[in-house]
Amino acid sequence: MRVIVADDAVLLREGLIRLLSENGHEVVAAVGDGPSFVSACLALTPDVSIVDVRMPPSHTDEGLRAAVTVRQSLRGSPILVLSQYVEVSYADDLLADRAGAIGYLLKDRVAEVADFLDALTRVAAGGTVLDPEVVGQLVVRRGRAPLDSLTPREREVLSLMAEGKSNTAIARQLVVTDGAVEKHVKNIFTKLDLPPDEEQHRRVLAVLTYLRG
Amino acid sequence: MPQTSSLGHAPVKRGFIRQLGVDTVYSIFGLVLAVMSFTLIITGLALGIGLLITVIGFAVLALTMLIARGLADMHRIGIGGVLGRPSPRPAYRKSQPGDGWFRKTLSPLRDPQSWLDVLAGIIDLPFAIFAFVVAVVWWAAGLGGITYGLWDWSLPHPPDNKNLNDFLGLGHSAAARIWTNEVIGVIFVLTLPFAIRGAAMLRAIIARALLSGIAEMRHQIVGLQEQNKAAASAEVTALRRLERDIHDGPQQRLVRLAMDLGRAKQQLDSDPVAARATIEEALGQTRETLDELRALSRGIAPPILADRGLESALDALAGRNPVPVDLAIAPNLGKLTASVETTAYFVVAEALTNTAKHSAAQACTVTVARNAGLVGVVVTDDGQGGAHVAKGHGLAGLADRVRAAGGTLTVTSPIGGPTEICAELPCE
Repeated sequence: MRVIVADDAVLLREGLIRLLSENGHEVVAAVGDGPSFVSACLALTPDVSIVDVRMPPSHTDEGLRAAVTVRQSLRGSPILVLSQYVEVSYADDLLADRAGAIGYLLKDRVAEVADFLDALTRVAAGGTVLDPEVVGQLVVRRGRAPLDSLTPREREVLSLMAEGKSNTAIARQLVVTDGAVEKHVKNIFTKLDLPPDEEQHRRVLAVLTYLRG
Repeated sequence: MPQTSSLGHAPVKRGFIRQLGVDTVYSIFGLVLAVMSFTLIITGLALGIGLLITVIGFAVLALTMLIARGLADMHRIGIGGVLGRPSPRPAYRKSQPGDGWFRKTLSPLRDPQSWLDVLAGIIDLPFAIFAFVVAVVWWAAGLGGITYGLWDWSLPHPPDNKNLNDFLGLGHSAAARIWTNEVIGVIFVLTLPFAIRGAAMLRAIIARALLSGIAEMRHQIVGLQEQNKAAASAEVTALRRLERDIHDGPQQRLVRLAMDLGRAKQQLDSDPVAARATIEEALGQTRETLDELRALSRGIAPPILADRGLESALDALAGRNPVPVDLAIAPNLGKLTASVETTAYFVVAEALTNTAKHSAAQACTVTVARNAGLVGVVVTDDGQGGAHVAKGHGLAGLADRVRAAGGTLTVTSPIGGPTEICAELPCE
C-alpha cells in the first residue's frame, strides 16, 4: 500500500517507516506537522495514512483536526490516528462524518506488529478500528439495564465489535468457532434491539451509537 | 464540622428592612459620636499644640490620640454594620519593653494610624451631619406625609393660608391639600431606603478608608503571603510525589527492560525459543511502562484539558472513574483561565480518586457552576465519610493547591458519610 506517515518525533517516524517498508508497504511521504500532512494527503491520495495527534504548529490535537480537514475534501480517505492518549471525545470527532475507513489507536499498539498491520489494512479497506481503551471507557460508563442482560461472553464480543473486529477476528481472539461468534452477535443485536448490518463500519457505528446512549 | 481553609470574608447580605434599621441607627446616633469626636479631638489638638512649648503638650496630644483611637473603634463597629463586612482594626504600634517613660508616652504619636484616626474624627462631622439630616428629613417627611390624612384636622387652616397645593395650582380644597401631602409622603417613603443607604454609605466608605485602609492592605499582604506559601508547598509536594512515582514506576521498568533485552541477546545464539519468550516479556514491560507514564503525565497536566477545555476533560475523567459519576456542568461557565481550569480539574480528579480508594461509594456527583466571580466545584459521594484535609491525606495537597489559586476548599465528611468536597475558585 502507499502510505503517508505524519509524526513530529523523528525517532518514531523513522521507526514506523522502517516497520512499514519491511512489511511491503511504500511510504510515499513522511511529514512532521498538521498543514504539511493535509497538503501531502490531498496531493498524493495515499491508500492509507498514519497521523499522530499532537503535532506542530499548535502542539495540541493538530493531527486530529488535520485528519478531519483531509476527509472533508477527500471523503472516506483512510486515516489511522495514533496517539499517546486516547479519549472518547476525540474518537467522536473522527467518527462524526460516518464515512468509515478510520482508525484511532494508542501508539503502543504498534508493538504488536501483526495486529497493527492488520488494523492498518482494515482501515484502508474502509473499516473502523477503535482502541480497546476507548471502547472500555464507553462500556464502563453505561452501566445500563440492557447491557446487564448480556452474558459476560456477549459483552466481550460487544467490546471487540466496537473495536472494529470482524467475526473471524473475534473468533480467533476468543478461541471459539466463527459460528459461535455469529450466534453471540445475533443475540447481542436482538437483546439491544440494534439493526443488523453486514457492512463492517456501519456495524461499529451502530454499536458505538448504542454505547454512547 | 466542615474544615475550611479560608481567606477573607464574603459580605453579609441583610434583609432590606434590617439594613434600613442599621443604616438609620448609624445615621441618627452616629451624629452623637461624630460631634463627640470632633469636639474632643479639636480641643485636644489645640490644647496639645498650644502646650507643645512645655513637655506637657506631647502628653496631651498622645492622650488625644488614644481618645481618637477609642472613638475610631466605636465607629468601626458602625461601619461594619452599614457596609456588611467588618472594618478591620489595624495593629497599632506598641511601646517597646526597653522604652523609657517619655518614649512610651509618645508611642501613639509615632503611629501613622493615630494621625489617620484624628483626621477621620475631624472630617467625619460634615458627612455625619449630612447623613443625620437625610435620615431625619426622609423619615419625618415620609411618615408625616403618608399619615397626613389622620392629623390634618388638628392643624389650623385660616383662609389666607397658602399651602403647596395652592402653589401647584391644585385648588384650595381639603382634599387637594391631603392628597398633595399623601403623594409627597409616598415619594419620601419609596425613596427612603435609598436616600438613607446612600448617605450612610458615603459616610462609612470615607471613614473606612481612613480607619481600616492600612489594616486592609496589611490583611491582603498577609493573604497573598499565605497564598504564595501554599503555592510553594503545593509545588514541592507535587514534585516530590512525581519524583517518587517516576522512580518507583517507569524507571524500574526501564531497568528491567534493559536487563531482559540483554538476556535475550545472550539467548539468541544458545536458545532462540527462550529468547522469544524473553522478548515477549520485554514487550509487556514496555506496554506497562507506557501506561504508567501516561498516568503520570495526566497527573501533571492532562492533555485533553489543554486541547478541549474543562468540560471535555471532566467528561473523560468521569468516563474513566470506576465509581459511576453524575456530571453536571453549568452552561454559563464561559472561558476560564488555564490556572482555574487546571485547579478545578485536579479538585475533581483528587476527589474522585479519594472516593474510589477510600469511600466504598456506589455513586458520586460532580457539579461545576459559576457565580459572581467564583467558580464552584462540588464533588459528593454516598460513601462512608471520614475524609480529612489533615496532613498525609491526599486532600491536604489539594487544599494547598486550591489556596494557591486564591480559593477555598471545604471538606464535609462525617463518619458514616456522605462526603462533600467543595472548592471555590476566584475567576475574572
